[in-house]
Amino acid sequence: MLPVAIDAMGGDHAPAAIVEGARRAAVEIGVPVVLVGRPEDLDPLRGDLEVVAASQVIGMDADPGSSVRTMKDSSLVRAAEAVRDGRASAMVSAGNTGATMASALLRLGRIKGVARPAIATPIPVPGSTPTVLLDAGANAECQPQWLVQFAQMGAIFSRERYGIAEPRVGLLSIGEEPTKGNPLVKETHALLAAAGALDRASARFVGNVEGRDIMTPEVDVVVTDGFTGNVALKTLEGGMRSLVTAVIEGLSTTDVADAALGALLPLYTTLDPDQTGGAMLLGVDGVCIISHGSSSATAVVNATRVASEMVQAGVVEHLRSAVASA
Amino acid sequence: MPAETHVERSPLDREQVFDLVRDRLADILEVEPSTINEGDSFTDDLDADSLALIELAEALEEELGERSVGFRIEDEDLEDIKTVRDAVDYVLARL
Repeated sequence: MLPVAIDAMGGDHAPAAIVEGARRAAVEIGVPVVLVGRPEDLDPLRGDLEVVAASQVIGMDADPGSSVRTMKDSSLVRAAEAVRDGRASAMVSAGNTGATMASALLRLGRIKGVARPAIATPIPVPGSTPTVLLDAGANAECQPQWLVQFAQMGAIFSRERYGIAEPRVGLLSIGEEPTKGNPLVKETHALLAAAGALDRASARFVGNVEGRDIMTPEVDVVVTDGFTGNVALKTLEGGMRSLVTAVIEGLSTTDVADAALGALLPLYTTLDPDQTGGAMLLGVDGVCIISHGSSSATAVVNATRVASEMVQAGVVEHLRSAVASA
Repeated sequence: MPAETHVERSPLDREQVFDLVRDRLADILEVEPSTINEGDSFTDDLDADSLALIELAEALEEELGERSVGFRIEDEDLEDIKTVRDAVDYVLARL
């Protein structure tokens, strides 16, 4: 398999944590990797890993569109080019999310038939497979037809990533009734409810769902526009973090702290952002995994593993078939 | 010939530039090239939005960057490119 191109310069803990994650991925899970970034920063860290040179780094706060257009020798752009040119099988970045998307979009291009790519983020569900939430932030304003494609692509990702044979797709709204929601949701509901809308993705539309349904086993894919999706994602992340912190603090002073915290470790692992394996940008012509900005080495290992799995599963080809025009 | 310009082949004429713009735009919009005319408005006739224009700018820079080192379409200029003709004129003026 071609190596996974890892943007070694992106993220709060780059390059050290990213390079450590890359090295562990190569050793622990046997995935070939190549680092992309400034040689002078990576040579002291890389061991025997190869480097694709890139002299520029797009900052975490940089404007995504203009930075990708003007910094053509950035690690993100070079990583996307490595995939486009057949030198890498996938790209992984913990850097600027918008710039990662723009790099993938402008270098890999959209899968034919895809109007807009969407960020598909796994949301942990204790005791069950994660719910795929999309779009988690790529497109602030959407058209109904785009959301239908998000549903198709999200279902494919859910199937390939989590082995769900017939993913249940819900449309995020403010009530279960089809009459509830804004004009975008109402129009999208009608399209998704139409016979055969999700046949190509072997998925089933289960109707509107609400925010509280995302972290339940009742649905496998939740579809929404990028603005709402990002708000939902950050709300869930912040809520879980606050709750976990409060539980640990509350238990730590008790006599049963060790036993209780030990019993809660599997749950903590389920909710740990470093364990999700990152989000996938669905709809570009290549595997692009977006890891969160504060990614540790463990997060990079998991993101690289997911990238490799998605390449081997042929997920881009499945997406291509699902959204191909009739 | 400016010293900083590296030209591998003879300069493109207007028809060749139009063909290039039309073909790249057809790829981006997933339409037949024959449906794109020089007088077409991006928004009104071709349903091409700002993303499509950015994709077109990238494609043209990549294609023409080999012919003319440093060829660039400034993002702020994209607002003024309303028709296919505008795009052809813009490219010709900068080659």
